[in-house]
Amino acid sequence: MENSAEDYRIQSFDLDTQRLLKTALKDPSLVNLEKVSNIIVDQSLKDPVFSKEAGRICYTIVQAEAKQSNGNVFRRHLLNRLQQEFKEREEMRARSLQEWVCYVTFICNIFDYLKVNNMPMVALVHPVYDCLMRLAKPDALMNEDEVDCLVVQLHRIGEQLEKADNQRMNDLFFLLRDGFLLQEGLSSMARLLLLEILEFRAGGWMLSSTAHKQWCVSLLTW
Amino acid sequence: MLFVNGTFRHESSHTFGPSRWSHCRKRGINGSLRSNGEADDIDRGRNGHTDSSYKHPDRRHPSFTTPESTGSVSRCGRQADWGSQVEDDEMRRDVHRDMQRYRRRILGAEFTQRERRASSGSCDSREGDNMETDEAVLLRRQKQINYGKNTLAYDRYIKEVPKHMRQPGVHPKTPNKFRKYSRRSWDQQIKLWKVKLHAWDPPAEEGQDKTLDVVEELNLDDVMDIELDFPTITDSQNTQTSLPIHSLSVEVSGTEPNIA
Repeated sequence: MENSAEDYRIQSFDLDTQRLLKTALKDPSLVNLEKVSNIIVDQSLKDPVFSKEAGRICYTIVQAEAKQSNGNVFRRHLLNRLQQEFKEREEMRARSLQEWVCYVTFICNIFDYLKVNNMPMVALVHPVYDCLMRLAKPDALMNEDEVDCLVVQLHRIGEQLEKADNQRMNDLFFLLRDGFLLQEGLSSMARLLLLEILEFRAGGWMLSSTAHKQWCVSLLTW
Repeated sequence: MLFVNGTFRHESSHTFGPSRWSHCRKRGINGSLRSNGEADDIDRGRNGHTDSSYKHPDRRHPSFTTPESTGSVSRCGRQADWGSQVEDDEMRRDVHRDMQRYRRRILGAEFTQRERRASSGSCDSREGDNMETDEAVLLRRQKQINYGKNTLAYDRYIKEVPKHMRQPGVHPKTPNKFRKYSRRSWDQQIKLWKVKLHAWDPPAEEGQDKTLDVVEELNLDDVMDIELDFPTITDSQNTQTSLPIHSLSVEVSGTEPNIA
């Protein structure tokens, strides 16, 4: 089975790096997996397009390594690097909103793709919640990019997160509801996005077809 | 983040006492040796959910030997880094899955036994009732097994000798983590298993000397033969390398060896 470069969105890398990544996908023992994990993380923090689907390439490398040598080197480095960045997320956010948004997108993507025995990685549940809670704070709600990131991630992994820890999802949604109702200075788009996610969860992480039609209309008349 | 009774619990909201593993740890979470008799303290008073290092005073089991790993990883208590947490989580799930499979296999075997009205001479009969199910024990045993399996010797062994060609006593057999054994008995089985696996080490210059070193290191003079009920080596056509320490291998039953 040939997965072309487009599947993993590695066109943004220079040719040497692309070659390295392709080798990592087929034959992990031939490459320095720590270096590969750093390359992927670094790019995910810079490139919004890459960060949205970087989980897939990570998943493939993890599987390839496990199959080839029963090893976990790549996964371990990847997770520990994520943890490092997580510890300094507040500084990251102050330094660059785009990097912060990319980080949240990336860690949620990893949570989505990298499962352990088909279950989400327990170690990531709280950190992901911490990130989303940060996005739900008043200062973050003022930035459309952060609100956008928040609702996109909740659409993708909200249901899984809720199953992993229902109480924290409740806590998160208290913040979102408060933000929607009380926060002054919220842009109309931000309010719309928040309302949509509130309804989405209330509907069991699905939009009924009528609700879906209503939303399509709202967005068209935007 | 802990998986307890079917739900994920935030670490500061758990309701049980000291970590099950903490009494076995000779070192604290930061790697330094613990002094004898310090009580276990669970309330770490941490702020974040995922902040790392914290002081974790602990009782120490005096003669516990810390197994070595590839990197400089603290093997005590709960690991703070995500890589280790995920690995531990994965091992826990694997152990639970293994347990279910084993139970099914045993129950299947018992059922067939009763059908044929065979005598209950086989070790596997009635084993379902006497199975090791303590998660802490199973995890520890699984870790020990993993150390042994994560070697070149083991890789070479399984390639050379497929399972159906294995002969008891001659070929190393992975100890069964689901059987009830005392701690000493289990640790000894693991040691002997790993020593046997050394026979498949990649060729070194002086293979013989190396094995003798291993023998001395383990002080196998203390080990007594309990039961030797396997075919002698001359009967087999398939033994590859002769095992210099074959005469010291022990078939361990459920009881403690008597040291004369």
